[in-house]
This record gives sequence, C-alpha cells and structure tokens, in this order.
Amino acid sequence: MRAFVIAVFAFLYLPIALVVLFSFNAGHHASEFTGFSEQWYGKALSNPFLVEALKNSLFIASTSALLAAFCGTAAALGLQRVGARTRGVFDALLGAAIVVPGVVIGISTLVALVQLFAVVNPFLASVWPTDQPPRLALGYGSIIAAHGLFSMALVTMIVGTRLSSLDRNLIEASSDLYATPLTTFRSIVLPQIMPAVTAGFLLAFTFSFDDFIIAFFVAGAQTTLPIYVFASIRRGVTPEINAIATMVLAASVLLVLLAQWQLGRRKPSP
Amino acid sequence: MSGPDHKSDPGNATGGQLPAGSEAAFSMRGTLLRKNLMTALLLAPATLWLVVFLVLPFVAIAIFSVGERAPEGGYQAAFTLAQYANLPARATAFWNTMVLAPVGAFACLLVAYPVAYYLALRAPERWRLILLALVVIPFWTSLLMRTYAWMYVLGGRGIPALLAYVGIEDVRLINTPGAVLLGIVYGYLPLMILPIYVSLERLDRRLLEASADLGATPLSTFFGVTLRLSLPGVMTGFSLVMILLLGEYLIPTLLGGGKVFFIGNALVDLFLQSRNWPFGSAIAITLVLVSVVVLIAANRISARLSGARRVDLI
Amino acid sequence: MSKSYRDGLPISPEKFVDQLMRLKRGSISRRDFLGLTGLGVATAVMARELGIMPTPAFAAENLGDRMSIATWPNYHDPQTFENFKAETGVAVEVNVFGSNEEMLAKLQAGGSGWSLFVPTNYTISTYKKLGIIEPLDMAKLGNFDASKEDARFTAEGTIDGTIYAVPKNWGTTGFAVNTKKLAKPMSSWKEFWDTAMAEGDGRTMVHDYQLTTIGNALKYYGYSFNSLKQDELAKAEELLLKVKPHLFAVSSDYQPSMRAGDAWMTMCWTNDGAQLHRDIPEIAYVLGKEGGEIWTDFYAIPKDAPNKPAGYALLNYLMNPKVAVKEHLANGAPSIDARVNALLPKEVMDNPILYPAADLLKPLEFGAAATLTDPGRAELMARFKSA
Repeated sequence: MRAFVIAVFAFLYLPIALVVLFSFNAGHHASEFTGFSEQWYGKALSNPFLVEALKNSLFIASTSALLAAFCGTAAALGLQRVGARTRGVFDALLGAAIVVPGVVIGISTLVALVQLFAVVNPFLASVWPTDQPPRLALGYGSIIAAHGLFSMALVTMIVGTRLSSLDRNLIEASSDLYATPLTTFRSIVLPQIMPAVTAGFLLAFTFSFDDFIIAFFVAGAQTTLPIYVFASIRRGVTPEINAIATMVLAASVLLVLLAQWQLGRRKPSP
Repeated sequence: MSGPDHKSDPGNATGGQLPAGSEAAFSMRGTLLRKNLMTALLLAPATLWLVVFLVLPFVAIAIFSVGERAPEGGYQAAFTLAQYANLPARATAFWNTMVLAPVGAFACLLVAYPVAYYLALRAPERWRLILLALVVIPFWTSLLMRTYAWMYVLGGRGIPALLAYVGIEDVRLINTPGAVLLGIVYGYLPLMILPIYVSLERLDRRLLEASADLGATPLSTFFGVTLRLSLPGVMTGFSLVMILLLGEYLIPTLLGGGKVFFIGNALVDLFLQSRNWPFGSAIAITLVLVSVVVLIAANRISARLSGARRVDLI
Repeated sequence: MSKSYRDGLPISPEKFVDQLMRLKRGSISRRDFLGLTGLGVATAVMARELGIMPTPAFAAENLGDRMSIATWPNYHDPQTFENFKAETGVAVEVNVFGSNEEMLAKLQAGGSGWSLFVPTNYTISTYKKLGIIEPLDMAKLGNFDASKEDARFTAEGTIDGTIYAVPKNWGTTGFAVNTKKLAKPMSSWKEFWDTAMAEGDGRTMVHDYQLTTIGNALKYYGYSFNSLKQDELAKAEELLLKVKPHLFAVSSDYQPSMRAGDAWMTMCWTNDGAQLHRDIPEIAYVLGKEGGEIWTDFYAIPKDAPNKPAGYALLNYLMNPKVAVKEHLANGAPSIDARVNALLPKEVMDNPILYPAADLLKPLEFGAAATLTDPGRAELMARFKSA
C-alpha cells in the first residue's frame, strides 16, 4: 500500500516537476531541454502581457472571492431567518449555481450579456447628457460576476452548514445577558463561522484563479492567466510560462507553510 | 425579491436540518418590521446575483434555443424546435461524455481510495498533515500547465522517444482515449481523495477493533465496515468529479487532439467556430438537465447505500 | 474566380447588418471602458515619443504601449515584433487561430481586442457587410505601394473602390508528408485520404477548418473545392466520417506534431510546408493534382480595434519591404510585393514549394465567401468533429 501511495504522489508531481524543470531551460521552447538558464524569469516579468494577465487574475480572483465571501455569508445568515418556501427556492438556485457546468455558465452569461448590452448601451447613449456615454462591455465585471456566482453559492453552503451546528446555548446566554443582537453576532456568531468563511474565500480564490472555461467566454478583450496560457499553448509555449507557473506555485506553497505555522502557533496540537 | 416568510415555524421550516433559535438570537429585541428589513438586506445581494447571472442567462439560452442560426452565424429570432430535433447530430459527443465521465470518475476512485485510506488510517500522525498538503498543492499550479506537461510526456518527445531508445518504435500515446482518461484521473484525483479522506477520518476506529475482536478477517472488516462507512465520501467525490467531467473541455482538447470529443467541446465549437448559437443553447440546456438528473441519481444511490447524508467537503 | 465571392451570399442584408450592428455596439465600448477605468490614461502616460517611423503621419500620434494581433500559427518572425517594440515602444501580443471562422466568431461576439488581424481573401466581403472592419486610411500606410503588388492576389481587399485590406502573401493548401515514415510517392488528394486510412493510420492530421477539410474531401471525388451541392457534400461527409477513426488529430497547428514525429502526414499550408521542409528535409510538401485551394492572406483592422494608431503603425511597418523580406524568410509563403521579391534570395524564388509548376497551379480554386459562411458546411464540420 505504501508503494502504491508513493507511486500516486510521483504521478501527481511528475508534471509539476517538468513544469519547474523547463522554467530553467536555456532554449526557446518548453519542449526541448537545451541547457540551464534562469533568464526566463526575467523575461516573464518584463513581458507586459504576461504580467498584465497575472495581475488581472489576481485582481479578479481576490475581488470575486471577497464579494462571494461577503454576499455568501450574508445570504447564509439571512437564510436562517426565512421560511421553508423561500429557503427551498434559494437552495435550488444555489445548488444550480454549483452544479451547472462551467462551460454552460460561460456560454449563457455571454449570450445574456451581449443581448443586455445591445439594449442598454443605445439607451444610455440616448439619455446621456454628453457625447461620451458610458458603455457596458465584457471585461473585469463580467468575469468577476460569473466566477463569483459559483463561489458565492459555495460560501453560502459552507457557512450555512457551520451556522446550523452553532451552539445555541451560547447565543441564548448572550441575549439573556442583555447583549444587543449586534454584539451577540460580533462576539459569538462571527468568531464561530469565521473558519468557514475563510475556507470559502480560499476555495473561491483558487477556483477563480485557475478557471479557464468561464473566463474564455466572458472575458471580452481582457486576458487572465489561464487564457494567456491557453493562447500560449496554441502559439508554442516558451519557458516564460513555466517560469510564471513556478512562481505561482512557490508563492502558494509559501502561503500554505505560513498558514500551517500560524495554526501551529495558535494551538500546539492540531 | 422573495420576502421573508415568517408564518412558518423556523424549526420545521428547514426540514429538521437547522435547529431552531438562531432567528430569535439575532433579532430578539427588534420589531417584526426591522427583522424583516434585516433579512431582506442580508439576502438582497445574493438574490440579485443569482437572478442576474444565473436565472437571466438561463432564460436567455432558453429563448435562444428555440431560435435560428443567422445566415452568417449567431442568432436570429424565431420559434422553432428544430434545434432540439437536431440533438441526435451530437449523439456521439453525448455518448462519449456519458461513458467517459463515469469511467473517468471510477478510475479516479480506484486510484484515490487507497491513498485516502492510507492517509486517514495508516499514515504516521506527524506525516498526515504534510501528506494532505501534498495532495492539495497541485491545485495551485495551473491545471492548464500541468496538462500541458502531460502533452509533452505523452507526445513524441516524451515516453515514445524513450521507448524508441530501447527499441520499441512508433508508439502513439497522445490523442487517444487513454490519454484523455489519464488526464482526467490526474486532474481530478485530489477532488476524489479529499472527501473520502474526510469520511474515513471520521470513522470510529472502535468499530474496526470490534470487528477484528469478533473474528472478522481484515478483508471482511474492510468490506463490511470501512468501505460501507466511507460510502458517503465516495459518493460525494464520485458525483463531484462526474459533474465536472460532464462539462469538461480542456482535457479532451489538449490530450485528445480534437479527436476525443466531449459535449463541452461540441458546445465550444458551436459558439466559437460554427457560430450556431441556437443549437449551442439547446445543447447547453440539455446538458444542464442531464447534469441535474445525474446528480439526483447519485444522491439517491448514496442515500440508499449508506442511509446517511452526503459528506460535505468542509 | 474572385468574382464568385459575391455570389450565393444568403441574403437579407438589412436584417443582417442590423443584427450585427447590435452585437458590435456592445464591443466598441472598450475604448471608453479603458478611459473610464483609467487604463487609457496609464497607457497615455507610458507611451513614448516617436520619430523613427518612416512615414511622418503617425509620428504625432499616440501609439500607446501595447496592442494585439490575430494571426495564424507560425506565421511571423518573432524578431519582427521585438524590433517593432524597440522602435516604437509598442509591445505586440500575438494571438493565433486555426480558422477564419474562429476569427469571425470572435469578431461577431465583440470585444476581440485586436488592433490588426490577418483574414483570408474570401472573408473580407463578409466582414465588410457585417460592418466589423475598418476602411483603411491609406494616408497612414505610406510604405504600401499598390503598383508593386501582383494584381492576381489583391482584388478582394478592395470593395466598391474602398480598400479594406492590404495583402500579406499568397499560398496554396496541399499536404505535408514525412517521407521516411510514408515512403510511397503521393501526388493527389485521393492518395492522401486513402493513405490516411492505411499506412498513415493514426498518424494523419486534418485542419480544424471546414473550408479546407471539407474542400479537400470534395476533391477526393473531383468536385469543386467550394461545392455547396447537397449530394456532393453528403459524399464528402461520408468520406470524412470513414476517415475520422484513423486520424491522429483535427487541428490547424500541425507543425509541433509533425516535428515531434507524432504525425506523419497532414493537410498543410504553403508556409508551414516550406518551414517544415527547410528544417526537416524528409518532410515533403505535395499539391493534389485534382486541385484544391489557392489563397491570399491580407491585413485588416477591426472597427472596434482598441489601439488603431498602433494597428496602423504596425501595418505600415510590416509593409516596409526591408521588414517584409525577413517576414517572408521566416514564414515561407510567397510574397505579392515586387519590391520584396527583388530582395529575396534566388533559392527562395526558385523554391517549388512556394512557386509550384503551372500545371499544378491551374486547377486550384480561390475559396468563396459563400463557402465560408454556408451553414450546411459549418454543421457538417461540427458533426465530423463530434463523431
């Protein structure tokens, strides 16, 4: 069994090792190793399109995850206060947001937004006082919204599960002691659901940062890192891409270690 | 916006899943009006989001799916069921998806189960967290890059070149169903390991001891106790991977060379190449319906098998 | 031949243009969006002064610091864009596509983000009709000299006296064969398809493009490359479905697979054929004796181009014969510009891959606009791919 587990880990890490190895390739292609060089790291960081794609991805992932964490938590709290019918409708919609395949989310959002813009933009143009009316278009907004949809549903479910296992006695005790609802929320509820909110945020960030198919449809002229990588695969991957991927990997491993270390400090026996 | 419905008792309202009382806790001293307003405010952003980016798009593709392809491509208003009638033209893509999705999920399960079992029940305590982190870390390298690495490994300069070196010429690995299957197992393995790990980790070890004490062989303990009790995790992982595979596009594109065609590929093709938006919309709606049916079926099966609810990831 | 592009366009033009204007409107907003988000200001601040460009017309214009071009796989000398960046400060992002349909789909959906792209001859009338390409401001293209262009290849860039696109190069569509793996000499499309199902089993690639893949399947039976006839297309589909299980891949980017030795035979454009043969001599380029396609690729600028000044600047730069000659050496397709031909080495001008014998050229057909937009062919291709 141990041998099998080791083999599976080797299987998981072989491609990652290759990605890292080729980031140090001296040659121009990510397909033939011709010697050792770290030049591609410099080249990657001075490629304006690659850097912009990375920045876009970071911006989109953090914004959509933050919005999702906020709206999802609010919704989970709100859902505790409504009746069966409302809750049923919400559960169905949230479930749909999670189950509907990304490719369908991307396509349907594209179709709806293109139609919506075709109506809204002429309207804006006709009522706007100046010559330069604002124009809605696909871009950051549409990617953030489409990514956030799935993420928000995820956060609502995770936080909802957590809320339902809250210790009621604490809450009752709190209000018996004349704490205002807000105080009760801040000092009792929030700390207890925070781990779930954080987990939801992280999952949302990871999902958005790595998503290709939804952004592929709704990005308009914007580029995210996965879109850039996909385009690179079509035009021939240079080790620049490997360099960026390696840097992202290193950064996330560092974050994991940091988080572990923090956790370890807070409670000695995890 | 759907108004908060306070007529029913919140305890019953949630089908027993949610214990009563939290409502009272949050707004005990508020008037009914303030309470309703607060609930509405809490639910407003999510409602808006769900309506604009889930319901509206779905209505849009439903309308498109009864339209016509405009002469140069795109959409043209009409009312016809021709798009749905044309669905059999993509029967092969549906079939491929319907076969490769469960086969892929099952292959994933076969690889994932022993790993999850080892992590949860056999691995030394101090290694457990590290090994778990090692399962998750691949998620943070772009799936695209990792799949691209497989393109290299399976392509002519990778394994086939090594085989040619030892005298086995002209082996072809890439652009085969096998390559796509490998990509699927690779890409979704962590998603399968985690829920199984969670359910095995929660397993009451005294049951295993009891089983052994009662003279069961390790094998019958495994099938009689361990496997049975980890079924909810297995079903969660299985349906999660299935759902993702039903809409898969990247892996068949990169490792299947446009030859192993999933319904996701057919969809992308209809929107980005043959520009038949109405037919694409009809396929998208069909795919969603299929996904829902699959998920409900998986839920039923899992409920029947284990008599328990599914395990959540967190 | 080029007359035919106007025929057979499935028409209700008003309705169509109307529809597409609506789509297009959604996308024009990109510039305003840039302005609103402050990105426009950022680009303006970062833009550099120029004085190096050969034509003074854009020296005064603000070129920004980046633009993107949509083109074909392995179609340019990467050094060209490096040099352009060094001279103007504008970095060029290269997006590659596998078919004109893909480019059309992207432009139709709006917000492509390209400031220059490389459409093929038969697409230009459709783009013009849909109102998604810009009539070119020739004052900004001082390096272009119409009198030096070979008129056989330039006509479709001009519609009703207005120039919408200027030519890049012409070429043919044949197939490339790795003669070490497939030694049997081949000279026809019939042999191509038959070999794909025999010795080339699992090693043959066809384009991910209905125009060429269906067109060359039609050639198996000797039908026109541009056929829209039901019965002829049905035969082509039958052949394609029969070949499908034997293919290695359906992809327009076949160079990597040919170079790695995964694929042994592929449908192939002149430029790729020339590049492959140059680097790997055993890869031969073959024109089917039944005929097939002859084409011209053009440069055009989308109406919603986010950085038109840079699009014009790059186009004018590429029209400079000294630049173009390097492009042709890298790309391998034959030039249309007599000034460029004068600078090309003799062995290029004598290369039979670039300049096939007259009897091979004679049966070739230019693709027609209706061939590109025909819904029946689009759906046939989609069925073939999903089979």
